[in-house]
Amino acid sequence: MERNINLLFCLLFSLLFTIAVHPQVSKVEVTTNASGNFELQRNGVPYYIKGAGAKDHFDLLVKSGANSIRIWSTNNKALLDSAHQHGLTVTLGLYVRPERSGMDYNNEYAVKGQIEQLKNEVMKYKDHPALLVWGIGNEVDLRYSNFKVWKTIEVLAKFIKEVDPNHPTMTVTAGIDPSKAYYIKKYCPSVDILGLNVYGSIENAGANLRKFNWDKPYIVSEWGVNGPFEARRTSWKAKIEPPNGLKADQRLRRYKELIEKDIELCIGSYCFLWGQKQESTATWHGMFLSDGRPTEAVDVMQFCWTGEWPQSRAPSIKDISLENIGWRKDHILASSVQATLSIEYLKYNNKKVIVEYVLYPEAFSNKIGGDIQKSPDSIKFDIVKQSDNELIFISPKKKGAYRLFAYVKNEKGQSSVANIPFLVK
Amino acid sequence: MKLTLQITLAILFFCSLSCGNMRDVSIYEPSKSISAFKQFPHKILFTNSEENGLWGIKNNACKEISFESSNSYIGKDHLYIKWNASKCNYIGMGLKWDNYKGKNLMPILETTAIELHVRIDSGELSNVPMFFILEDYGGKQCRANINYLDLEGGRIDTEWRRIRIPFQAFNYAKRGVNMSNIKELRLEFQRNGHLHIDNIVIVPHDYNYKNTTNKFTKVFNSHPVQLGAGKEYWWGVNTKYSSSFKFGGFFKNESVVVDLDLSKEDTWDTFGFSPYMWMHVDLSSIYSTSAIKFKIKSSKLPKLQAFLFAYTGERRRLQKILNESNFIDKENGIFEAYIPLKSLMGHSKFSWDNLKEIRFRVLEGTQFEIGDFQLIEFRGDPKKPNKWKGI
Repeated sequence: MERNINLLFCLLFSLLFTIAVHPQVSKVEVTTNASGNFELQRNGVPYYIKGAGAKDHFDLLVKSGANSIRIWSTNNKALLDSAHQHGLTVTLGLYVRPERSGMDYNNEYAVKGQIEQLKNEVMKYKDHPALLVWGIGNEVDLRYSNFKVWKTIEVLAKFIKEVDPNHPTMTVTAGIDPSKAYYIKKYCPSVDILGLNVYGSIENAGANLRKFNWDKPYIVSEWGVNGPFEARRTSWKAKIEPPNGLKADQRLRRYKELIEKDIELCIGSYCFLWGQKQESTATWHGMFLSDGRPTEAVDVMQFCWTGEWPQSRAPSIKDISLENIGWRKDHILASSVQATLSIEYLKYNNKKVIVEYVLYPEAFSNKIGGDIQKSPDSIKFDIVKQSDNELIFISPKKKGAYRLFAYVKNEKGQSSVANIPFLVK
Repeated sequence: MKLTLQITLAILFFCSLSCGNMRDVSIYEPSKSISAFKQFPHKILFTNSEENGLWGIKNNACKEISFESSNSYIGKDHLYIKWNASKCNYIGMGLKWDNYKGKNLMPILETTAIELHVRIDSGELSNVPMFFILEDYGGKQCRANINYLDLEGGRIDTEWRRIRIPFQAFNYAKRGVNMSNIKELRLEFQRNGHLHIDNIVIVPHDYNYKNTTNKFTKVFNSHPVQLGAGKEYWWGVNTKYSSSFKFGGFFKNESVVVDLDLSKEDTWDTFGFSPYMWMHVDLSSIYSTSAIKFKIKSSKLPKLQAFLFAYTGERRRLQKILNESNFIDKENGIFEAYIPLKSLMGHSKFSWDNLKEIRFRVLEGTQFEIGDFQLIEFRGDPKKPNKWKGI
């Protein structure tokens, strides 16, 4: 009896050891369901991607109802491990250098070197249990001229087909037009899924894919509010950012009306960005602030993914104005004069909210796409009077372009933010 | 007889003289390039901090540079750099490379490389965000980065790993760098990281890669040109989702049958095509004397808006709503349409060397067939195309 127990224990231990060392690789496939709609299946079960571009805040992501993250490169294995521990899958990006970064796709040496390096990355990660989909390249089409880049994408997709039959391949474009659809169809037959990074252009993305005769499934690989590149600018070229409350409304509508409704071709989405980054401003795309506080966009995503709002909701700034002129207009102040910033917001179920104001120099940048931008440091400024809805302050003495941010947060730190660029002259 | 003997002796004399002047040649003589490498006097860029000059090695908020004496690859010390570019626009340093003597790299350009050894303190990388920059005495710079093909073992880790940067990998031709008068080598760092670097030298290196020139460009410099040949280069025609457009067959070349009901919601009212296989189409040498010609089969003239798109450029879209002056009634329900390219507002700012697409929007509900698109020679008044006698 004792011997049998020992044997059983040994077998159990061996089994656990095997599972620990070789965790289960998921079998992910693109299929069509009984209705003829495309469907992703993971281990034989339909899998609709409720995802976010994310590198952090995984606990809240899971709590909010998401099941997947998208990352853009293979340089951080810990992210995959962490995602797996949280029960999240990963669309893993292979960073294919875009032409705009100086890559020359007529340079055989550079092209072969990149391909061999990325093949090596495929071999490293192909059996990771969190892996869902390979994302081969991100926006390689943005301001490109040499269509040969699609041959690199195909070489990698084909290689993945050879060495990893368990995970579909996707390439991600910056929006879609008929020429991109043509080239991907012609040069990349081994690509299973089209990833679309669409902001303002999400409005017509589904219809356009059909017009461009795209006949494979797609994932909305980045979506959110209209990007800075689509925004109106002031006369001094500062991008005008809508208040958080309006952006939240836009997110909600786009998910419900555009993403969720395209059940024929769309197999899921990744909202952008479950984190924080500087892109024209520090708050444009990020659903978190630079200090890690969540904004109301997080609440919206929970509603999108689960159909329920969180019990504690972030406040929502719906409007902001400077000297009684709305945020859509230009604002020009003299130096060292008194000025009034006003905000309107919803408190929801918060008994108490805290309002903060921070001044920054304007962060002009000529970077495009997701290219890294630098964040400016805040500037000290003189406050004359501050209330829950109004800030009376003294404009900076030094001439130049500035941006004044208003933050409204509840006691849990859930926040809403809005800003107004202004020029001192 | 005497003369014959004299000639024979003379030939023998000259032969022996020339044979005596022949030099010994080894079967295994080193190639010209190896001897060029041997003769190149500036082979060492860095082996230790005392013998090789560097600049830009003062520490600041974005970089820390030191010379570490432990675990060097060669010499008494090696270079260590730790950087973080989040607060700096430029992080770099330079190697004076034989005290800034002008270096002529031309004889060794195709057969040598910069070699260095690198390691990191922990972990493993397949690349480092750094650039190698050659600067000439005119201040022009060309650059190259680490290529996986010349990274020993395909990784950077705690072992000293060899990296080679072939001179052929530098974009000197594109940047107009004078490779016969190179001043220095710079190292530029991006994002963040750390690296131990040692033994930066010039070594012989085989480089067997070519640069191709294919840029997916089609140049047209004479008329006529058939436009939009091949149904796969058209869009907006997808009968699974819309009955507005389907391919027709009345005309000789590609055509579309239009059946548009604008009272329906989300009606597709636009179609388009690539002039030539979605390539960059270059009409720059003929655009000013060109018109788009096409045919329409209809009981009445449809209301159409035409668009031209370029891949790049200051002005990437031109458009025009066609009017009666664009059409000639050929009777029996056939119309010929002409759109002189110079009739399009803003044509002078359009990138005619980079034409991408021709597109039509149907502005009212109607039925007709449109096709046989061509680019023809046109030398009439752009405002009155149907009056030109040359048509």
